[in-house]
Amino acid sequence: MLRIRAFRRRWFLALFAFIFVLFLLIRSLEQVHIPTSGAYDVEHTLLRQPFQWHPRLSDVETANITTCRNSVQGSQLIVDERGYVCSRGDLTSGGCCEGTASQYNCSSCKANGCCMFYEHCVSCCLHPEKQPLLEKVLKEARQIYDKLIVSASDQFELCLAKCRTSSKSVQHENSYRDPHAKHCYGESPPDLQMALT
Amino acid sequence: MSAQRTSRTLLLLTLVLQILPGNFVTNQQDDSELHFLPLSCNQTTNEQVKVDFSSEIVDHEYIVTFNGYYQRDTRERYLTAALRDFNASWSVVDRHNPAFDYPSDFDVLQVSTEALTNLDILKHHPVIKDVTPHKKVTRTLKFIDDTLTEDVDQPYDTLSSISKSRNRKSLSLATAYWHSPARKSRNLLRAIPKQITSALQAEILWNMGYKGSGVRVAVFDTGLAEDHPHFKPGRIKDRTNWTHEKTLDDGLGHGTFVAGVIASHKECLGFAPDADVYVFRVFTNNQVSYTSWFLDAFNYAIMKKINVLNLSIGGPDFMDHPFVDKVWELTANKVILVSAIGNDGPLYGTLNNPADQMDVIGVGGINFDNQIAKFSSRGMTTWELPGGYGRMKPDIVTHGSTVRGSALKGGCRSLSGTSVASPVVAGAVTLLLSSVLDRFDVINPASMKQALIASARRLPDSNVNMFEQGHGKLDLVRAYQTLRTYKPQASLSPSYIDLTECPYMWPYCSQPIYYGAMPIIVNITILNGMGVSGKIVGKPQWEPYQPQHGSYVDVAFSYSRTLWPWSGYIAVSIAVDKMAAKWEGVAQGQVSLTVESPPEGDETEARVSHLKLPIRVKIIPTPPRSQRILWDQYHNLRYPPGYFPRDNLRMKNDPLDWNGDHIHTNFKDMYQHLREAGYFVEVLGAPFTCFDASHYSTLLMVDSEEEYFPEEVSKLQRDIDSGLSLIVIADWYNVSVMKKVRFYDENTRQWWMPDTGGANIPALNDLIAPLGMAFSDSVYEGEFMLGEHDMQYASGTSIAKFPKEGVIVTKPLKDQGHEVVSGDTLNAQDVPVLGLHQTPGGGGRVALYGDSNCLDNSHMKKDCFWLLSALLEYTSHNMLAPVFEDQELVTLPPIKQLPERMEGNHLHRYSKVIEGHMGTPRARPLPPCPSLVWAKPNPLNITAPSNLYQPQKLLSVNNFDINHVPLLSLPQENMADMESEMKELPVKEPEESESRHSHKHEVDRNTFFPALAFLGTALVILFMLNQYYKRRSKPRRKRPRAQKYSNLMYGRTYKSPSV
Repeated sequence: MLRIRAFRRRWFLALFAFIFVLFLLIRSLEQVHIPTSGAYDVEHTLLRQPFQWHPRLSDVETANITTCRNSVQGSQLIVDERGYVCSRGDLTSGGCCEGTASQYNCSSCKANGCCMFYEHCVSCCLHPEKQPLLEKVLKEARQIYDKLIVSASDQFELCLAKCRTSSKSVQHENSYRDPHAKHCYGESPPDLQMALT
Repeated sequence: MSAQRTSRTLLLLTLVLQILPGNFVTNQQDDSELHFLPLSCNQTTNEQVKVDFSSEIVDHEYIVTFNGYYQRDTRERYLTAALRDFNASWSVVDRHNPAFDYPSDFDVLQVSTEALTNLDILKHHPVIKDVTPHKKVTRTLKFIDDTLTEDVDQPYDTLSSISKSRNRKSLSLATAYWHSPARKSRNLLRAIPKQITSALQAEILWNMGYKGSGVRVAVFDTGLAEDHPHFKPGRIKDRTNWTHEKTLDDGLGHGTFVAGVIASHKECLGFAPDADVYVFRVFTNNQVSYTSWFLDAFNYAIMKKINVLNLSIGGPDFMDHPFVDKVWELTANKVILVSAIGNDGPLYGTLNNPADQMDVIGVGGINFDNQIAKFSSRGMTTWELPGGYGRMKPDIVTHGSTVRGSALKGGCRSLSGTSVASPVVAGAVTLLLSSVLDRFDVINPASMKQALIASARRLPDSNVNMFEQGHGKLDLVRAYQTLRTYKPQASLSPSYIDLTECPYMWPYCSQPIYYGAMPIIVNITILNGMGVSGKIVGKPQWEPYQPQHGSYVDVAFSYSRTLWPWSGYIAVSIAVDKMAAKWEGVAQGQVSLTVESPPEGDETEARVSHLKLPIRVKIIPTPPRSQRILWDQYHNLRYPPGYFPRDNLRMKNDPLDWNGDHIHTNFKDMYQHLREAGYFVEVLGAPFTCFDASHYSTLLMVDSEEEYFPEEVSKLQRDIDSGLSLIVIADWYNVSVMKKVRFYDENTRQWWMPDTGGANIPALNDLIAPLGMAFSDSVYEGEFMLGEHDMQYASGTSIAKFPKEGVIVTKPLKDQGHEVVSGDTLNAQDVPVLGLHQTPGGGGRVALYGDSNCLDNSHMKKDCFWLLSALLEYTSHNMLAPVFEDQELVTLPPIKQLPERMEGNHLHRYSKVIEGHMGTPRARPLPPCPSLVWAKPNPLNITAPSNLYQPQKLLSVNNFDINHVPLLSLPQENMADMESEMKELPVKEPEESESRHSHKHEVDRNTFFPALAFLGTALVILFMLNQYYKRRSKPRRKRPRAQKYSNLMYGRTYKSPSV
């Protein structure tokens, strides 16, 4: 049978502590070896790709583009890669918004960079003036290994990704921080709106 | 600050025990069953043995089981010790069999009559595991001719035990509980194919050269190991982790299995071995997940341009707006979403989100015998209640029971659950998509769904309705043929309304329509394969068929303004015209509508689809008032969004009331019973001010949680004075108990406090106060006899106030409220549970009963439909059932105070009746009653066929007949291979079950292995050192250190809060 006395020995306790420390060490080492949320990817592949800022074009040059990428998803509105917002019916066969559309439309956006409509957010985000702000966003994303933002290869892709609702848009997981301005291109999350009682 | 709750659970793959053919296993919960056994293995004879088996309990004999095997003398010593304080005589029954000389783990104990109740003392003995009554089993064998039974390849018997988990993490109670499968009658199971892919004939597409290449498929699950042997090298394109655990690997086996069914290329095959697999780890090993993780992961899936996404997950919270919006966004970006419908069957109203969304392919499960799996969740959707009616879901069903797939560390395992059925469809969709890559521009979430449901085959068992099987069973090859020739178009689901087709169109077919009834609402989903956004042009038209009395039907519509993403709804309200008030017959007509989407690519014209929706109804003359009952749906509230607690406090693993409380969901059996009794039940989805009481004999209110408008209280009083009867089935309400059942929800990271009890007694008391009645805030439970019926009272209230002339039934019960709050049992005598009263002056009759659990399928132990019938006899026909006659006159003691609403409750957030106003709730203005605008009929001189159901046909390019799409013919030997695989019985089963068991423990091992190993090593070292030390020196002094020792070893024990 075990004798209590054995536990009182100093060497025994030392041994006990040693095993414990060893165990902790092994565990923490194990964790280090596991690639964490794509940090490796971000550092070794994604950061090497060049980033294309939205070109400053004159109106004539803009009008000459005939095929565009666009935001695909909207029920009514759509925004193309030049920053024009139009209704779905006004898309050309190349996917561009036609002439009547408004460029760099920030009409539903608030001062904190959060907009009511996704398409306005993307359009507003494509404005050349937003480049310094987006550079800060990119820099921060690289620091925290945000795979989504870092994967973007140009300003249009960045704006498409940044304007989507994300983990930063919610409170208590299942409600929006601000249901009326949930699409943000800027650094800050939507302003927290207290639920009405 | 909303107290909402997201609970998205992994739809558990449920472990299924398979028993070898010939093994006879009885089901413990059923006392009598029929099983069929193959008489001989080579199947040359056409005979079978039918085993008829029944059991009865043998009086005064008990089986005492021990926790180990002991010799006879030892066992007797234990029994003597255990029964030391037992003053009746007892003896051990001798068993004269060859096992007599060997140690055994049980004894049969015979005791004298009077001592029955004391047997529990046996269980206090440390080595005695259990005491059960001794059962006598009688079996009879009969031979039956196999030709009379169904044509089956090789019958063999399985007993599947299906575990079910709701992952209510926030309640610190066990989540898995076990169900025995429904075995209504005889049951011959088909041989289980070795490969799930052969069951769906994926080989045909493989032989044409399609194996999923070029398709990006995402698996949102518990992750996947990097080098799992079942996946082709390089096919796992990306693995990402969105949880707080720092690993990409699967620790559970769920994600591995799901990914394997989609893309495995070894042992247990998946459908699309050449597809690019993107693994998203969104569930931890403890099955925790948050909406925010999903949002970020979904964004990444959009960025990666995923084509097919499998979500073998689900939860009841369809009001989680960020999540639901994100799912819409995902499908709007052309991601085809396949999701499991849920494992909460066979209860109705148990659909899980996101599978219940219109733009998602919701998949239910069947077994290999083409029967709907018991666990598969049933429709309808509950989003639309109380004013509208639910949509039809699941969309399709496929194999989800005992499917073989990849195990965690290689090898195969057999699992069940709708989360198995979902990847079967996702894999099939991936394979399909790769086979039509040349037509990629017409493939989108809607067209894929259209092709799947148009090609699905209804289950052969004609008793399965549309809320169970949707459009039927997935048919991969026909879906391929459909897609090959698909032309962008809109379609309807279901594609026709036949209110006479039973049982497929249950519940619509269960009650004919008549003049003056509340309109029937059919909620049709429009799938629009023409574009992500579309709209209905003009108004839908009602075109009655003149020769088929179509003009006797009135139709009204409500529909989505925009069809986005890829889908929308059109709700058709159907009523009978006044002309047909005394007419009986079948009337037909059709609804026609035009759907339009903007042009795509080089097109200049808008895309247009003309749709026809045939309707057929059975009309009868308006039944007499005494047969018409009105079910109050308006005042039933449910989760989501509010925390409305369970109606039976014992059901701790299902804390929420979430099935909709509708006659077609969790009150389905009650509805069926009322229909069989000849009553016509209509649903009121609006305030009491919106119905004409002179049409109905009884207003039925069961388990109401909502408040009442002052106008409703006075209107109901007037109605009762003029002859309307009222039945109120209430449920528990007690503020202290409500405070006790609050819980911390890990998903929303908030405390959840119920907003009412099982029912809202203070509100109900306001409603029935003018009648001189009230319920109490005591909570009772127990069993009693009423007449010759056993009754189970599971967390109910009692009657506090009742008119003197009324009949009151009192019963002795247990005070459960006291038990929940203070922990000890208190018996209560003469609890008034039921009251019957005839209001003076020839008014209506009122019946009150304190507990709704015996009508509600959710947690039903014993039904009391007979009681409801008896109450209705009284209220509707003024006949007092014999069981209520000769009741002693009871005078209820005067009550000091009626139950009050809980201070600071948030009911006003979810209520349609009250709103928060400066901190105190007040009534909202009474909303106007819903008024339907009947569509102007455009009569057609058409006669429709008598059977509206035809396998749905989609328009195809060049008027191609889809059945003649060339399929590369399969080489003969391959077919033979397939055949043999289909027929081959899983001979390796024992081995397999072993591997399954080991996987079952995999989870534990992953978490506890390091700790256990460490502890083990430490103990061994300790022991050796001790031995060594003991030999070397003698003790010098002795001091009790036991206290410290135990503290060191076990640490402090924390008391966990119990609810």
